Order: sequence, then C-alpha cells, then structure tokens
Amino acid sequence: MAVASAKGAPANGSVALQVFRGDPAGGAEERFEVPMQEGMVVLDAIHYIQAHFAPDLACRWNCKAAKCGSCSAEVNGRPRLMCKTRVDEFDGEIHVWPMKAFPLIKDLVTDVSWNYKVNREIPPFRPSPNEAVPYRMAAEDVERIYEFRKCIECFLCQDVCHVLRNHDDKSLYYGPRYMVRIAGLEMHPLDTQRRTGLLHGKAGVGMCNITKCCQEVCPEHIKITDNAIIPLKERTATDSYDPIAWVARKIRGGVPPEPEAAAIPGFVPKAGVQRFAVQDVVRLRARGRPLARVGRVLADGWLEVWVLQMGGVTQRWRGPKTVRATDIVSNYGPLDDVGIGSKIRDQD
Amino acid sequence: MTETYETHTCDVLVIGAGGAGMRAAIEAAGDGASVILVCKSLLGKAHTVMAEGGIAAALGNVDPQDSWETHFQDTMRGGQLINNWRMAELHARESPDRVYELETWGAIFDRTPDGRIMQRPFGAHTWRRLCHVGDRTGLEMIRTLQDRTVALGVEVLMEVTVTRLLKDGHRIAGAFGYNRVDGQFVAFRSKAVVIATGGWGRIFKVTSNSWEGTGDGVGMGYEAGAEVLDPEMVQFHPTGMLWPPGVRGILVTEAVRGEGGYLKNKDGQRFMLEYDPKKKELSSRDVVARAIHKEVEQGRGSPHGGAYLEVMHLGADTIKKKLPSMYEQFLRLADVDITREPMEVAPTIHYAMGGLWVEPETGATTVPGLFAAGEAAAGLHGANRLGGNSLSDLLVFGRRAGAAAATYQRDVTRGNLHERQIAEEQELLLKPFQSEGKENPYLLQQELQTAMQEGASLARDERGLRACLKKVLELQRRIEMVHVPGSRRYNPGWHTTRDLRFMLTIAEAIVRAALERKESRGAHWRLDYLEKDAKLGRVNYIAYSDSGRMRLKTRPVPEMPHELSRLFGEPEPLPAQKTA
Repeated sequence: MAVASAKGAPANGSVALQVFRGDPAGGAEERFEVPMQEGMVVLDAIHYIQAHFAPDLACRWNCKAAKCGSCSAEVNGRPRLMCKTRVDEFDGEIHVWPMKAFPLIKDLVTDVSWNYKVNREIPPFRPSPNEAVPYRMAAEDVERIYEFRKCIECFLCQDVCHVLRNHDDKSLYYGPRYMVRIAGLEMHPLDTQRRTGLLHGKAGVGMCNITKCCQEVCPEHIKITDNAIIPLKERTATDSYDPIAWVARKIRGGVPPEPEAAAIPGFVPKAGVQRFAVQDVVRLRARGRPLARVGRVLADGWLEVWVLQMGGVTQRWRGPKTVRATDIVSNYGPLDDVGIGSKIRDQD
Repeated sequence: MTETYETHTCDVLVIGAGGAGMRAAIEAAGDGASVILVCKSLLGKAHTVMAEGGIAAALGNVDPQDSWETHFQDTMRGGQLINNWRMAELHARESPDRVYELETWGAIFDRTPDGRIMQRPFGAHTWRRLCHVGDRTGLEMIRTLQDRTVALGVEVLMEVTVTRLLKDGHRIAGAFGYNRVDGQFVAFRSKAVVIATGGWGRIFKVTSNSWEGTGDGVGMGYEAGAEVLDPEMVQFHPTGMLWPPGVRGILVTEAVRGEGGYLKNKDGQRFMLEYDPKKKELSSRDVVARAIHKEVEQGRGSPHGGAYLEVMHLGADTIKKKLPSMYEQFLRLADVDITREPMEVAPTIHYAMGGLWVEPETGATTVPGLFAAGEAAAGLHGANRLGGNSLSDLLVFGRRAGAAAATYQRDVTRGNLHERQIAEEQELLLKPFQSEGKENPYLLQQELQTAMQEGASLARDERGLRACLKKVLELQRRIEMVHVPGSRRYNPGWHTTRDLRFMLTIAEAIVRAALERKESRGAHWRLDYLEKDAKLGRVNYIAYSDSGRMRLKTRPVPEMPHELSRLFGEPEPLPAQKTA
C-alpha cells in the first residue's frame, strides 16, 4: 500500500500525501504535495495543507508532543499519532485516513463520544472511609499502576481492537482503553471498590481473545494485554468462583498487613485505632448524637470536625471543633458517598 | 434576525476544562449548583496535560524546614514583588491541602522511602517542593480531575467554542458560541460564568502551547468590560526543543535541570555558574532564558542557535525512570538519545503571567457574575512564574472561583439573554463565509506570530515594539477581509478566524503595556531600559476597553501587611539548593 506509483512519486524536496476527505455521506482520498522539512511529522504536513491548500481540512490536534492523544489517525493503514509519525520513515506516498472503528464526522475527525460514555459507567476510585489523610503508600505499590496511568486516551487501542472494529458491536466490550483504566483502579493500593462483576458482565473482559494488537499500537508502550487485560481476566475468574479471594485481596490492598507496613521505616500503624479521612461523615457521642464531617485528621487520635446543625430549612456545618477519635460513635464514609453533601449548604 | 441556536440553562457555566476549569466545576457542583463545563477540545486534552515537572506545595516531606512562608517568599521574589501578596499567601497556604485532596480522588505521586509524597527541587524554590510523578504530573492531575468531574455527574460539552459573554445590564447573563462538530450555534443562560481558558502562547511563533492557547477567555472578558492585568508579562521557558524545525518550541521540562541536568554552551562551559553562581541551572526562568539568549548573541550558541542541556552524567537508568517522556520525545522526534548525547534547547514562550484582574479570595472580576481562575487570571505570579506554581495555582484558585461562583448564583436571579447581542455575534461568526476578501486565516495568524516573535518576545525595545504594534493594528484591519471556504461542519479555518480576533486583542494589550513599562523586570526585558525602576515596581498595568478602544492605566501594587512584609526584611535565606 505504501509503495509509490510512478505518478505518486514525490518531486525532489517534497512529500506526497493522500488524505481522506469526506463526511458520513461519502468521501475519497485527495492528493497533496508538501515541501519536505527536516524532522517533519505527518501532522506538520497536514498543517501545511490546511494553511496553503485546504483551510477546511478537519483534524484534531493539541499538544503536538505526543502527550494529549488527540491526533490519532491511520497512516498507511496503521493506527498512529500523527505528531509522532515521521514523514521520512515512508517511501513514496503517505495515506492518511481517519480511525475506522468510530463513526466519521469529517475528513480525519471521528466521533469518539462512545468512549466517554463507557468511561462514565466505571465506578470511580473509592478509598477506605477510615484511611488517614495524607496517605501513606509504598513506592513499589504505586509504581505498579504507573503504566496504566500513562494512558493518554488516544483511542488507538480501541480503533485496532477486533471486537470493536470488525464486529462493529460496541455493546459487548468496553475495549482495551477501559481495561487499562479499570486495572489502574483495581490495583490502586488503597482502592476498595469491587469491579469484577462489571468486568465479567457489561465490560466484557471475556471478549478479548488476546491477539495483543492493542498493545502493539499503544504510543505509550503500555503492555495492555499482558499487564492489564490478562490479570483482569484472572481476577474476574477467581472472584466469580471464589468470593473470599476478592475479600482477601481487597483487605490486603486497602489496609496493608503488619509485615508490609513495618517495611516502611517510620510508619507503624497503631492497632485498634479507628481511622478517619477528611470529608468522612461521622456521628458524635455528644448530646443528640449530632452528625459531623471530618475537617482534618490531627495527631494522637484527635480530629477536627464540622458539626451539622439542622434548623428548619437551613442546614449548616459549624466548626471547627476538636474531638477525640473515641468520641465518635460511627463513621459513614465519605460525604459524597453518604450523599448529604449536595443538599447541605456550606454557609460558614 | 438570528439563526436558530440551542439554549442550555445552568447556574454556573465553566469555560475551559483544564486544571482550573475542572477544579472549579467540581467545587461548584459539590456546592449544589448546576454546572455546565465546556471545552474546545475533547475532555482531558487541555494544556494542563503538558505540565511535566510537578505541583509546588510546601509539604515538607523531603525538606522538613519548608513552610508556607518560604513558599510565599519564593513566589513573591520570583514575581519581582509586583504580584498580589494575598493571592501568593493563599496559594502557599492552601496548596498542600489541594495536593492531598487529589490523592483522595485517586491521583498517585512518586513516593519517599517512608511512603509519603516525593518532592523534587525546581528553579528558584528554596526547598525541594515539587510533588510529581515522573515527568507526567500534568497528565496525572488532569486524569484525576477528569475522573472526579465524571463521578460527580457534571455535564460536559466537548468541542464547543464560546466566543462571547452575554450581559443583562452590567452583569453576566450567559454566553454564546458554536459547536465545532456541526457548526451549530449554542447559547448558555447562566447566573455565573467562570473563565478558565488558559493563556495565549499561540500569539507567538515559538511556543510550547497547544493550539488552544489563543486567549479567548481573557479576550471575551475584556470585551465584556473586565480588566486585563500585567499583559506585558509573558514567560519564556528557557528550554524548548530547537531542532528539527517541526518540533521547535516543544517543552523540555525543567525537571531535567531539577534532576541535575547541566546547561552548556558550544565551548562546553556551564555558563549558569557565571550568571547565577548560587542557584545555577535552577535559577528562575527569566534569568536562565536571558542567559541562553546572551550566550547565543555572543557567539557561543549551539549550531541551531541555542544551548546544550546534558543529563548523560545521571546514568541511563535514572534518566529512563525520572524523565521517561523526555527520553522518548527526543529519541522519536529528534533522533537524539539523551542518555548518550546532549539535547539542544532554546527559550520558548510558555506562560502568560497576565490575565483578567481578579479578587484574590474569590476570583471575581470587575464584571458581576464573571469569575476567572488559572492562567486566564492574573496576580499570583507577578513578573515571573516559578515552575510548579501553575499547577497549584489551578487547584487553589480553581476551587476558590468555583465556590465563589456557586455562592454568588444563590443570591441572584437569572438574567435575560438579549437577541441583539446574539445577532451581533452570529453576524461576526458568519462573516468569513460571506466575505469577498482574500485573506487566509492561517497565514494571517502566522504573520501575527512572526511579528510578535520579532517585536515583543524575550528581548524588547521601543523601536521593535512600535513596529510590532503597527503590524498588529494592520492585522486587526485585515482580519475583516478573511474568507474561509467550506461548510460550518468541523471547519478549522473558520475556527481559526474567530480565535484570531482574540489573539489580536491580546497582542495589542501585550505590546501597549510593554511599551509603557520602561524598565526590565522579571520576564519583561527592555534592551533600552536595562535596570529596574523602583517607581514602576510599585504599579501594575491594566488594559481595559473604553467603548471599543483599548486604554491602559496603572494601579498601585497592593501593599503587604507588616506580618508578611517583615519576611522580606531579613537577609535572604541561603540554604544550598540540594539535588535529589
């Protein structure tokens, strides 16, 4: 495909591009010749075309430094970031097409909104309600998920995924990008949320047949299949047949057991002390058993709290008040989860 | 006569979905306001993603001596004391909490051996202060805020450009713009608007900014009657990529120097030892940028007119672990293996210290109902911003603006949208399709970039600035003659035309204020006035619109209360800058 025909061979000092132009009604390649510059990338050529030949040529881009993942396209049939694809790596004409797995909007721009819809369905990070802030986490525990956090959401993996691309059925599988996102959440050392049911069901981790195409095109070199999808498949299988394993893993992940914690110098969790996080909703032992939210976690078992006062239609948080952790009867977890946050006006 | 448009109604409209915009939306939504967040690109692509080095916050995890007072002093000194002291104080006091808060939303940072957040040294920060994750801190931050925004159910409209603020009387009633995808018009009826549209690096030719940095929000605010503070203060990042031409301007993070990189001239001298023997490579950005400029001017530059930045002595493993995206960026785009060869770097336009004038506590502008935060707002950074202070700026003041907007909207009724304003804006937007002119929006933008790069960049003088102003005013006339072909469906030529109007307004403000500030201070370097002028050090320049004409005025720099100003009375603290 990349072989240049005699007609397509670029003149000296210029490069020829065949750029797809069109909209949902139809379209075809259009040929442009662009002067060659040292170190030129495909996106430079597209910009040149916009400025000199076709001002309305549609393409997405932002940073031009392979950090934002906007300029995804198919260059000579391969999903690439245009800002990272050097023109001089090809002989002859360069064919630039939009991503095929998503509905076309115009020219090189596709409608990727489905990805954002899927993203909203994934339960967010949920730390244990008793986790003290600031967090303590061992370097090796967080480094495990660095790889997943590197994702720039270019959706090239989604574009190349057989389930999403060939079967054109996006109801069966969330796609590699969201396996990476879920892996990052599941392996976060302080996360307590359970997502294996989702993985097994709607997210459809079972649909992946491990062809590893996604990890081949990843511009961030994330080992999507090896490090995200396969471990998630294993996890889902284990949890479906052995619920105790999930509990055990989450406890290990959420509250590090003694030996691990002791390995962090200077960090010795006190046994038996209840743990609180900023924004937790708690009930106090005081008269009337008022509700309060945690403002700050102080040293030696002291907390700063804001006490909820309800008077007719107005509700307000009064504080800060310093209390002992032992003055707290129960902890209902983060304000957002408890759900009274949005209904209460913070008037102080 | 107006064309059809769809109308969205909300309490708070946040324009811009970078760090500041998302943080504002999170806060306003958490306070119970109905929020719509609009952005020009897809969600999560904003320029915040490009921030590499880290978030400055005096946690004292690595250097326990650090405190908010020291951070405050560093920020004020860096800004050459024309900053708003109250903003600098709030910023220094609140940024640690904002960082910890990010962690509770799922962000991860590099750790110290005892499991706390790791901090690295950075230019002109007294202590090791930057919380980071490798060299992709901005990505971590934007992804975390994005996840939080989504989890809170904030309505996000992607690829929508807002081009005009709508007013009812003297206060904000909403905004108007278009959907980039289908070109349809969109109106917003909202009680408060938060501008979080970032900076305007795209006005210059060599910049680290993405295409979005066109100053829209500040331009709109200016047109709606808000004041633009310190427009002349434009920051050069000392180290942008230089070769090949296609990558010119792309950022080389300051973390390269933070991790121990050396700057050398063509003779192999570490020239920063002469320009700033104490802080060396980690001097403030204005100083390092000028040093590179001077080396080149005196014939000691690298082949393409810059300096060499070396990290080879750190060892390949450290480089790949601490600076992975720099390693990848140079290998891929410039065929340079930074574990074996030096990088070639030159200053690049990076950040606008100027922006809309805001009240320190609330981010409120002078227009009722209009708030601003992040790079679009001004005051915190004064004449020069320290590395790492922008990310903390976004969090601290994004939150404050969001909270203030949510509070404001409770006490006001919804304003009315006036058809006349909408009709005017539609006419302006549709003009390039109907125009008989021959001007090309891209080439006009390139002309502006070239003119600003030549006349109003790192080294300025009266003659260059005058010529530049003339060019900007000429372009303001010629933009009326722009013609774009095609339909309104995803038409970048059309989009560029409207952006260009804002760029021309901001460019005029930059040049006019730069002409007036007849001194050298921070990022503003006048070759014809090389010294600081104590009198000018007590004022900020403000550009404002006087029935369509740009005017300039000065306002005294707010005076620090004694308990803060006494911090500067003592001799400068002299802790040796430690490197990790």
